[in-house]
Amino acid sequence: MKFQIPIGPQHPALKEPIGLRVMVEGEIIRDADLRLGYNHRGIEKLAEQKTWIQNIYLTERICGICSHSHTTCYVQGVEKLMELQVPRRGLYIRTLVSELERVHSHLLWLGVAGHEAGFDSFFMYTWRDREIVMDILETITGNRVHYGINTIGGVRRDLDELQVKKILDSLDILRKRSEYYKNLGTTEPSFVARLAGVGYLSKEDAIALCAVGPTLRASGVPRDVRKDDPYAVYDEIPFEVCTADTCDVLGRTVVRIKELFQSYNMIEFMLKNLPEGPIAVRAPRRAKPNEVVSRYEAPRGENIHYIKSNGTDKPERLKVRAPTLGNYAATIKMLKNGFIADVPLIFAAIDPCICCAERAVALVDARTGEEKVVPMLALKQLSQKIYGLNARKREVEWPL
Amino acid sequence: MRIGVFIPELVRHLFKKPATVDYPFIKQELPPGFRGSPYLKPETCIVCRACERDCPAEAIEIISINEAEKRFKMIIHNDRCIHCAQCVDSCPTDAMNMDTKFEISDYDRHNLKMEWEYVRAVIKPKSAEPKS
Amino acid sequence: MATLKTFIYLIVYPGLLFLFIYSTFVEWYDRKLYARFQNRMGPTHTGKAGILQPIADFFKLMAKEDITPERADKGLFSALPAFGLAIVSTAMLLLPVWNYSLEKPSFTSFNGDLIVMLYLLSLPTFIFFLAGWSSTNLFSTVGAARVLTMLFGYEVPLFLSVLSPAILAGSWRMAEIAAFYRARPLLILVNLLAFFIALICIQAKLERTPFDIPHAETEIVGGTFTEYSGKKLALFRLMMDVEMVVAAGLLATVFLGGFPANPWIGLVSFILKTLFVIFFLSLIRATTSRIRVDQVVSFSWKYLAPLAVLQLLIVILVKGFIS
Ligand code: SF4
Ligand code: SF4
Repeated sequence: MKFQIPIGPQHPALKEPIGLRVMVEGEIIRDADLRLGYNHRGIEKLAEQKTWIQNIYLTERICGICSHSHTTCYVQGVEKLMELQVPRRGLYIRTLVSELERVHSHLLWLGVAGHEAGFDSFFMYTWRDREIVMDILETITGNRVHYGINTIGGVRRDLDELQVKKILDSLDILRKRSEYYKNLGTTEPSFVARLAGVGYLSKEDAIALCAVGPTLRASGVPRDVRKDDPYAVYDEIPFEVCTADTCDVLGRTVVRIKELFQSYNMIEFMLKNLPEGPIAVRAPRRAKPNEVVSRYEAPRGENIHYIKSNGTDKPERLKVRAPTLGNYAATIKMLKNGFIADVPLIFAAIDPCICCAERAVALVDARTGEEKVVPMLALKQLSQKIYGLNARKREVEWPL
Repeated sequence: MRIGVFIPELVRHLFKKPATVDYPFIKQELPPGFRGSPYLKPETCIVCRACERDCPAEAIEIISINEAEKRFKMIIHNDRCIHCAQCVDSCPTDAMNMDTKFEISDYDRHNLKMEWEYVRAVIKPKSAEPKS
Repeated sequence: MATLKTFIYLIVYPGLLFLFIYSTFVEWYDRKLYARFQNRMGPTHTGKAGILQPIADFFKLMAKEDITPERADKGLFSALPAFGLAIVSTAMLLLPVWNYSLEKPSFTSFNGDLIVMLYLLSLPTFIFFLAGWSSTNLFSTVGAARVLTMLFGYEVPLFLSVLSPAILAGSWRMAEIAAFYRARPLLILVNLLAFFIALICIQAKLERTPFDIPHAETEIVGGTFTEYSGKKLALFRLMMDVEMVVAAGLLATVFLGGFPANPWIGLVSFILKTLFVIFFLSLIRATTSRIRVDQVVSFSWKYLAPLAVLQLLIVILVKGFIS
C-alpha cells in the first residue's frame, strides 16, 4: 500500500515550518518532495532600506544559531567594499567568537540528533554542557544568542584577562565532556544502530548535489572555506579539516565531534596568541559603487553573501545563500529508500535552519507549473477565497 | 559497542544536585556588560540624533517640543528595541546607557515605552573614536 | 464479612482507589527518576517535590476539550480507553497481594492465573492497535501497524521468560510460585537471566524508550494517540501507568518472591518490590535511544528468544538436579 505522509509544515520533528511530503510503501520511503516558503521574511528587501550599520543587526537575525556567521560574512563583505583594514586584535576576537559559536552549534546539534533518535538523556547532557559555551559567549559579548560583537571595521567589545582565564578554564571541562560524548555516541548500541548506514550519500552525489559543510565532509570531501579560501585569521591558526568516509549520519556525527576538538585547539591558540592593539577602525558611512562576494564557513556549511553598493549609505542589493539551501537537494537523495523512522534523523543531520534558507517565494501553480507575480493584497484575498471555500473539503490530495 | 555505557554517568548524577535552576524562584547572576534595555541620561544628551539614525529597529524617537527653549523629548520604544546597544556605541557623549534588566515583558506594549523630556545639554562631544 | 472483604478488595485495596493513587505515584517516581538521571529536577511544584503532578495532569486533561475525528469509528474510538483501563485493572486483581489463600483457590487466585494474567497483559496492545486504527489518521495508522509488528517481536520471549520460574516452581498459580521462591530464596538467582529478558519485554510492552516506536514523537507525531485528546487521552495515560504497576507487580511476583499474605507487610513489600522493578525500567528508558521497528523484531528473535530458551534449559536442568 502506497500512501503519502505529510511531514510539516507543522510537525514535532521540525522546529521550523517546511513542507516535506514522503511517499511511503509500508515503512519504506519511495519518494520525497520538499516545499519551501512557509517562513519567508523578506530580509533581503528590508536590507535595501537600511544603512550599512543597521544591516549588521538585520543579518544577525537571519539565523539564531549561527547569528555570528551571518554578521561576519556581511561585515567582511562591507569591509572589502569600504577598503578597511581591520586591526588584528579585532580579527582575533571575531574569529574567537566564530569558533565558540561553532562549538555551541555542534553541541546543540548533537543534542538534537539524540532527541530525534529518542535518546533524550544524551540530549539533556549535551545541552547542559552547551550552557558552558553559552555562558562564555554571554560574558564576552553581552548576550546569549545575538552576540552583536561585529561592527564594520572590527569588533565592539574587548577581551580582558579575567575572561581569557575563564574561557581557558572552561575549555578543559568542555574537552573532557566532548571526549565522553564521542565515546558514548559511537559506542551506545541502540544509538549507533540508529545512526550507522542511515542516509547514505556517496562522494560523487555529495559533490554533484552541491552539499556543503559537515554533510559534504562526512562523505569524504575535505572542503572547508577556512582552509580553501582563508578569511579573517584562519591562515595563521593551525587546524585540520575533519572528514569521515562512512557517508552516513554516524559520519556526520563524527565529523562534528572532531570539529569540536579542532575548535577547542583553535580557541586555545587564539587566546594564547592574542595580539595587542586596537579592536576596530572607524568606518565611513558610505561605500563606493562596487560589488563583492563574501564567503564564510558557518557551523552548518558555506555561507555566501553577495553585496552590491551604489555609493549611498545603503546597499543596493544583499543576497544571502545560507548553507541549508545547499543541502536540500542532497537531503532528498538521502531520504529515498530509507525508513519513515529515519526521516527526522536524516533531515536533522544536515542541521537544517529553515528560515535561513527562505530567501525567495515564487508562486507556482502546482498543476500547470505556471509562475505568477501578484501583490500581497491579491495573495491574501486569494487565500481567503480558497480556504473559505475548501476549508471542510475532505480528501484533498497534495497536487504533485 | 558496549552495552549500557551510559549507566555509570546516569547513576552518578542520581545523587547529585540538578544542573537546572528553579528559575523564576531562584534568579541567576548576570555577567557584567549584559545588554538589557537602553536608557538615557538626559543631562548629557546634545541631541545629535546619532542614536536615532543608527538604531536598526527605529526604536528611538526624538521630538522637538520647544525650539526656542531647546526642549526635546526622547521616547524609547522598548517594545521595538532589539537590545543591540548600537545606540550606546553611536552616542558621542555617553548619554545612552544599557541596564541589565531582561524581565521586561508586559501585557501592553505601550507600558514598555520610556520617555524623557529635557533641555539640550551643551557639551563638547568626545573625539570621534569608536568605542572599545 | 466476606462480602465486605471482597468489596474492599475490588474498590479500595488493591482495587480501583489504591490503583489510581499508586499508579499516579509510580508515574511521579518514574518521571522524577528519569529527570534525576538526566541531571534535571523533574516535577517540583505541585505538592511536596511535585508528587501531585500526575494527578494534576490527569485532572487537567479531564477538563480539556475532547475531540473525536469525523471519520473515526466513533463507538470504538470512545469505548477503547475505558475498556483498556478496565482490562488492566482486572489484571491487577489477579496479583496475589492480599486476599488469597494458598490452599483454597478463589476467584482472584486460581490454578492457571498466570496464563490469564499474560493474556490480560496482551490485550492492551490490541487496544492500542485498535485505537490507532479506528482514528483513521495517517500517523495513527502507521503507529497501529508498528504496535502489531512489535508485538510479534517481544511477546514470545516474554512468555518464555515468565514460564521458566513457573516450571521451576511446578505451578501455574502465581501465589504458589511466589510462595515457592519465598521458601527457597536462593533459587531466585536461577531465573536472573529470565528476569532481565522479561524486564526488556515489559519495557517493550509499555512502549517506553527504546521501544516507544508506536508513538515516536519525532517521527509520527503522537502515533496511535494522535487523535486522542481530553478525557480519553487522560484515561489512556492512566491505563499506561496502571499497566506499568501491574507488569512490575507480575515480575515481582514470579521473579522476586511475591508478597507475604499479611495486608500491611504485603503492602509494604508490594510497594518496595514494584518500585525496585520500575527503577530498572526507568534506567533502561534513560540509557537507550529509540530503535527502529525492524530492529526490535530482529533483536528479539536474534537475542531475546534464544536466551529465553537457554533459560528454560537451565531451569529444566536445575529442576532435575533438585528432585
Ligand atoms: S539597543 Fe538597539 S534597538 Fe534598542 S534603542 Fe538602542 S539601537 Fe535601538
Ligand atoms: S543620546 Fe547620544 S546619540 Fe542620542 S541624541 Fe543624545 S547625544 Fe546624540
